[in-house]
Amino acid sequence: MNALTKTPLFDRSAGKRFGKFALYAFLVVFAILQVFPLLWVFDYSIQKTGDLFGPELIKLPLVPVWHNYARAWVDGKILRYFINSSIVVVSSVLISTVVSFCLAYATTRMVWKLRTLAAGFIGLGMVIPIHTTLLPNFIWFNVFGLINTHVGLIIPYIAFTLSFNTLLFAGQLKTLPRSMEESAFLDGARYPKILASVIAPMAAPAIVTVLVMTFLTNWNEFIMANTYLSTDDLRTLPFSIIRFQGQYSSDYAVQFACMTLVALPPLVLYFFFSRWIMSGATAGAVKG
Amino acid sequence: MKRIAALLVATLCLATGIYAQAKVTLKMGDNLPDRTSTWGAVVEQINTEFKAANPGTEIVTESYPDQPYQQKIKIYATAKQLPDVFKYWSFTSLLKPLVDGKFVVPLNMADFKKYGYIPGALESNVYGGKLYGIPVSADMWVVYYNKKLFADAGVTKLPTTIDELKALAPAFTAKGIIPMVTDGKDAWPLSITFDQLAWRISGDQTLPQKALDRKIKFTDPVFVQAAKELQDLTTKAGLFQDDLMVSDYGASRNLFGQGKAAMYLMGSWELGLGSDANFSDEFRANVDAFKFPILKNGKGKTDDLFAWYGGNYVVSASSKSKDLGVKYLQFYAQRFPTLAWASQACFPAQKVEPRSSDTPVAKSLLKIAADAKATSGTACLDLSTPQFKDDNQNAIRELCSGLITPEDFCQKLDASAEKASKQK
Amino acid sequence: MNRLFGNRTAIAFLVLPGVAIMVFALIVPIGFSFYFSLTDWAGFGAFNPVGAANYKEILTADPVFWRSLVNALILMAVTIFIQNPVAFALAALLAHISQKASQIFRSIFFVPAVLSVVVITKLWVNIFNPTYGILNKLLRLAGLKSLAVSWLSNPHTALGSVIWIIIWQGFGWALLFYYTGLMTVPKEIEEAAVVDGASWPQTYTRIILPYMFPVISSVIVIDVISSLKQMEMIYLSTDGGPGQLTQFIAVYLYQKAFVASQYGYGNALSILFVVVAVGITVLVQRLFRSEGEIQ
Repeated sequence: MNALTKTPLFDRSAGKRFGKFALYAFLVVFAILQVFPLLWVFDYSIQKTGDLFGPELIKLPLVPVWHNYARAWVDGKILRYFINSSIVVVSSVLISTVVSFCLAYATTRMVWKLRTLAAGFIGLGMVIPIHTTLLPNFIWFNVFGLINTHVGLIIPYIAFTLSFNTLLFAGQLKTLPRSMEESAFLDGARYPKILASVIAPMAAPAIVTVLVMTFLTNWNEFIMANTYLSTDDLRTLPFSIIRFQGQYSSDYAVQFACMTLVALPPLVLYFFFSRWIMSGATAGAVKG
Repeated sequence: MKRIAALLVATLCLATGIYAQAKVTLKMGDNLPDRTSTWGAVVEQINTEFKAANPGTEIVTESYPDQPYQQKIKIYATAKQLPDVFKYWSFTSLLKPLVDGKFVVPLNMADFKKYGYIPGALESNVYGGKLYGIPVSADMWVVYYNKKLFADAGVTKLPTTIDELKALAPAFTAKGIIPMVTDGKDAWPLSITFDQLAWRISGDQTLPQKALDRKIKFTDPVFVQAAKELQDLTTKAGLFQDDLMVSDYGASRNLFGQGKAAMYLMGSWELGLGSDANFSDEFRANVDAFKFPILKNGKGKTDDLFAWYGGNYVVSASSKSKDLGVKYLQFYAQRFPTLAWASQACFPAQKVEPRSSDTPVAKSLLKIAADAKATSGTACLDLSTPQFKDDNQNAIRELCSGLITPEDFCQKLDASAEKASKQK
Repeated sequence: MNRLFGNRTAIAFLVLPGVAIMVFALIVPIGFSFYFSLTDWAGFGAFNPVGAANYKEILTADPVFWRSLVNALILMAVTIFIQNPVAFALAALLAHISQKASQIFRSIFFVPAVLSVVVITKLWVNIFNPTYGILNKLLRLAGLKSLAVSWLSNPHTALGSVIWIIIWQGFGWALLFYYTGLMTVPKEIEEAAVVDGASWPQTYTRIILPYMFPVISSVIVIDVISSLKQMEMIYLSTDGGPGQLTQFIAVYLYQKAFVASQYGYGNALSILFVVVAVGITVLVQRLFRSEGEIQ
């Protein structure tokens, strides 16, 4: 399938073994660099706070203090915030996926006058930084009573993922033959049906990719959630870390436990869906 | 499906809420995220008592560390989401804009006179002849220290001059102890220290106000010298923690509480260090306070006390339960000094009786207050516009990171004061 | 088939929801922002129109604005000239080892990219802590005590440290893009090069890099956009300090609005931010398009 895998990087057999060793050593160093910080935080999340201030370079949790997690769970309001995150993220991901799918379909497969203009407009969404809406949205969203509501987060979460998703879908939809819809159309099917049962199954890989990537983006979003929400019971998961800084500013172990808990959901999701993120990157890199 | 479910749940909650009827919820905000010890615990106690005295009242409190909290309140003011009752500060830089925008309700001075406030405390919350908030703490700028760490390092005499203070640094550093910590990230403690130093140099606490009124300039030698002293203290003396300029309030307080630092430059509201259950018994038994040192050639005296009334409580003008909010303030005014002093959580703005059971740090603070021959009032960063405050803090950050010279610093401060005076 | 592909009702149904959401959440707010940028509003209370005064001040008398743009450019440069080549080299190495090992390594390299920026930032703030952070513990242990500085507050290291965190998290993405790009290089052209007697460095510089040009250019465009958009990482670590050395425009406008109570000024920064972001992106894209045509 690809050319590089079989190309020997080190031809001369003398240096071959050493070369291979050096190569792996290099990769392992980078791998450590990428995951060590996480392990460090986890390590001290199951020890007493005082251990962090100890003289050792790294202290191993010989007697794990799991109690830190109990406190992080309760006082970090992990469950409450997790549910809130789920409400906001699941609805914004579903809507964003459907809407961007429709946009991509209309801009790649249908023929209309303003098509290029619309595509350009959608592309603009990739460039406008979300932060430029942080200030005015207070006034504008407040007109509709959307500040301090989940809907007030869901709408920008959709808006700011639409462009990238549309682009991703467009890449996939361009490659499908037009005869697909034509024969369904002649069989008497209408748009909703054509889209749902003819096009969508063909674009299934792209749909999964969009779902996963949008999920990660919105799940990890912080600044809008932090700015727009003021009622504690509405907040989303990343906030629990901030909450801990004040409440447990002296208890680093509980803070670390909280960080670990917040890091877990995307990590779990990633390990189940990493294949789709990879293929999303392909689409993004080649067509982006 | 999930959305529909969520909607259903929401409707249900609303419906049951209506039937439960007459439950009034007071939304509150403060800068006391720790609700289990010291000041936060006192507020929780007051809330519990208030709810018992007013059946059907619910209290929901939102708390953040100091600076994030100030930021939040400004955001809420923009979004018209201010809590019903919230902790704020009496300062021109903070309360006055809310008063001007009619965001807080005026209070009846007579209702609060009877609660034993220290003279001048209520007055610090008066704008345009009306009272807008009740003061909560009497704030003094002091140095906390850990007696055990002092003994361990062989320090027997408390520093009375800045030179003596600086000279202590090596003794602690040799033991792996940070000599002194404070909150540098938020800059205001260093800004207060700047004013304090200017007073220690000149012996005249009115100079910053005069400079703001443009009667003198921030580029005058007194301020340049104060800036130089501050820069020396923070960048050259090896006195403060390495990461001073990124240590926030919690992080720096924590270094002191964990016994990693020998001294903590902070206000008297940290009286609760002596009773904070988050720290070890050993630490609590050993924490004490001394007066901010003087300068050898300065005109300021040891008993010139940098003190003011900062923290207050206000009631939002857009609250649906204003009357209940004001009632809460009265309840607070009545209960706070007793509870706060009993648990030694805070130094209240009301008169308290010294007891033999007071913690050592409480006794020291009372003595510092009693010794005072002159007091300063609010530091200049809070005497002008919010923008001046921001400029002041940014300039202090640059000064104490060694990025600008004391002269540049004073120039920046003066330019900002000039701008602020034109806006008024 | 005009009825199928040119049906106006269908087009309206497909396009309008998306466009409406974007107009509601992107375009209208920017309109509001522009309106407020012409006032001296504090964010609450009364305000006066001041015309273009805010813009004038930003462009002529606000060094922090320029500082934050320069920081974004520095970040861009580091991303493009340091992070990208390393990621490319690593991706190339991964393409030469067994599929299984490659997959394991790629999964590990990508872990930071899926985590919340809050977690990442707090992680590194703790690692950089001069008292208990492992970095300085390690340096002291190695006898490099003089290097054990306060990374995030030392004027010499603050920007570098912040950029390091950003690069560290973005590394997984860069690697992934390059790896998947390399996987699309057709076997035939490379084989042809080998047959012609090209060594592997030659193969890379003459065959693979040119082939990868579209991928490289789109990664660079993405880097440019994300360098400009940095906010949370800074907001949660240095907050722009020490002084304003690590200031980025999105943090700055937020501080202006909600710390200094200069909401109008913050909105003016916001509008300039949009202009800069759109301008630079269009510029970079143009650059690559014409380059691409030459190729």
